[in-house]
Amino acid sequence: MNPADVAQSVLPLTSSDLSLFTLFWHAHWIVKAVMVGLLVCSVWVWAIAIDKTVLYTRSKRAMDRFEQAFWSGQSLEELYRSLSSKPTHSMAALFVAAMREWKRSFEGQARSFAGLQMRIEKVMEVTIAREVERLERRLLVLATVGSAGPFIGLFGTVWGIMTSFQSIAASKNTSLAVVAPGIAEALFATAIGLVAAIPATIFYNKFASEVNKLAQRLEGFADEFAAILSRQIDERG
Amino acid sequence: MQMRMASAISTGLHAAVLLWALVSFSGKTFEVTPAESLPVDLVSEKDFSEMTKGAKQAPKLEIPKPLVEKIADAKPAEEIAPKLTEKQELKATAEKTPEPQPLPKPDPIAEKLKKQDEQKQQAKAEPQPLPPKKPVQKQPKFDADKIAALLDKRDPQRNAATGAELNSTPSLGAASGNAARLSQSEIDALRARLMSLWNPPVGAQDADQFQVTIRIRFKRDGTLDIGPQVMTSGSGARFNAIRDSAVRAVLIGQPFTMLRPDHYDIWKEIDFTFDTKEMFSNIPAR
Repeated sequence: MNPADVAQSVLPLTSSDLSLFTLFWHAHWIVKAVMVGLLVCSVWVWAIAIDKTVLYTRSKRAMDRFEQAFWSGQSLEELYRSLSSKPTHSMAALFVAAMREWKRSFEGQARSFAGLQMRIEKVMEVTIAREVERLERRLLVLATVGSAGPFIGLFGTVWGIMTSFQSIAASKNTSLAVVAPGIAEALFATAIGLVAAIPATIFYNKFASEVNKLAQRLEGFADEFAAILSRQIDERG
Repeated sequence: MQMRMASAISTGLHAAVLLWALVSFSGKTFEVTPAESLPVDLVSEKDFSEMTKGAKQAPKLEIPKPLVEKIADAKPAEEIAPKLTEKQELKATAEKTPEPQPLPKPDPIAEKLKKQDEQKQQAKAEPQPLPPKKPVQKQPKFDADKIAALLDKRDPQRNAATGAELNSTPSLGAASGNAARLSQSEIDALRARLMSLWNPPVGAQDADQFQVTIRIRFKRDGTLDIGPQVMTSGSGARFNAIRDSAVRAVLIGQPFTMLRPDHYDIWKEIDFTFDTKEMFSNIPAR
């Protein structure tokens, strides 16, 4: 009996019909679920990547613009007034938070300078933490997909190879025509896993370093601003 | 807002890639160009081990014969000691006169027939008056420049392939093959002789785990050409004792008259392995 005929009769998949769609369609439902899951992961990873890229370039540009305005000699009151209604980026939020605390301490009835410095620093610390958290949001998804994706794909592959071996056992024939389609279909799961995981890992590393840089910049600004405010407190007090 | 747009872009990208993959990733069947068929001769294991020494352009023969340039000495060399006594015997036999052979009886009918034949031949010969002219034989010119062509360019020190009979037409075969091989009886005889002479130290510890390979180079008369070379390396008093006993066995055993000089080419160098396991294989393990 010709092995190719056996393959045709036992397996719905033949070696001549290995398009992407048939590879998916003839897979076991668990393998199918793995493939679909990984595909969704890939979509999600790329969505996050696009979102974060846009977010980071924008906030970097906004910070540049804000720092220019801040160091241009413009009155801080004016700057505060223009930004206080709706701070659009992290550094503005930091500035507004610190200024609000400052104003509250001065405009209140009790002009208490004791502890104002500490309060301002605390407020800025909290704001930095909040802003970094906002920048870092969803980055963990990338890390998870990057590390777990290949394993999920491998699981699909192992499952697919198991079932294909079962069909080989059923056909009692080990020719390449019988073995190859099942293996190809199973390996497809690993391929999708890698397709999802590789960009996720790359993007995670890139974004993690960028978040780090932005956070450093925020902290530097916070320290400088705290120094300015502290000088003001000493002058007035 | 921002994320939703990014998701939409990502989904679109994936859809595009998938569409492209659907179009381009259709499994192509591997086109295997049929290879040209080649005639193949199956060589059995026996044929391979008995590969003949031969030339590339030789015509294919049904039964391969080895190339033989020199007839080997027919009789095996005798030991020196008995030769002296033989000479005296030869003298005695030489004096004997050969017995006169009885003459065949004349047959009268045959003689008559002979006479008739002779007469006929004489009658035939008479009409031929002159003997045919002998063609003038060309004297071969001596050309000093062409001497080189007459030289035998083969290595004078080479060992001419020997065999039982001359055979100038080589058959197909490998460069270093020999069709004629030691017969099993010859090998067995050699083995039996060496094993009977070999007396390894039996009491040694692990004495049944030693193998000593000794390269023996024979002269044509079955004596050793050079001393036995020990091919196995080893150390220790036990190994030395077993090795020396093997060398001794080879030295005592000569001349090995069971090896026929016809096939000297084959047995002029033999690697013989003394295996203590074989020696003690009859002793049951404790």
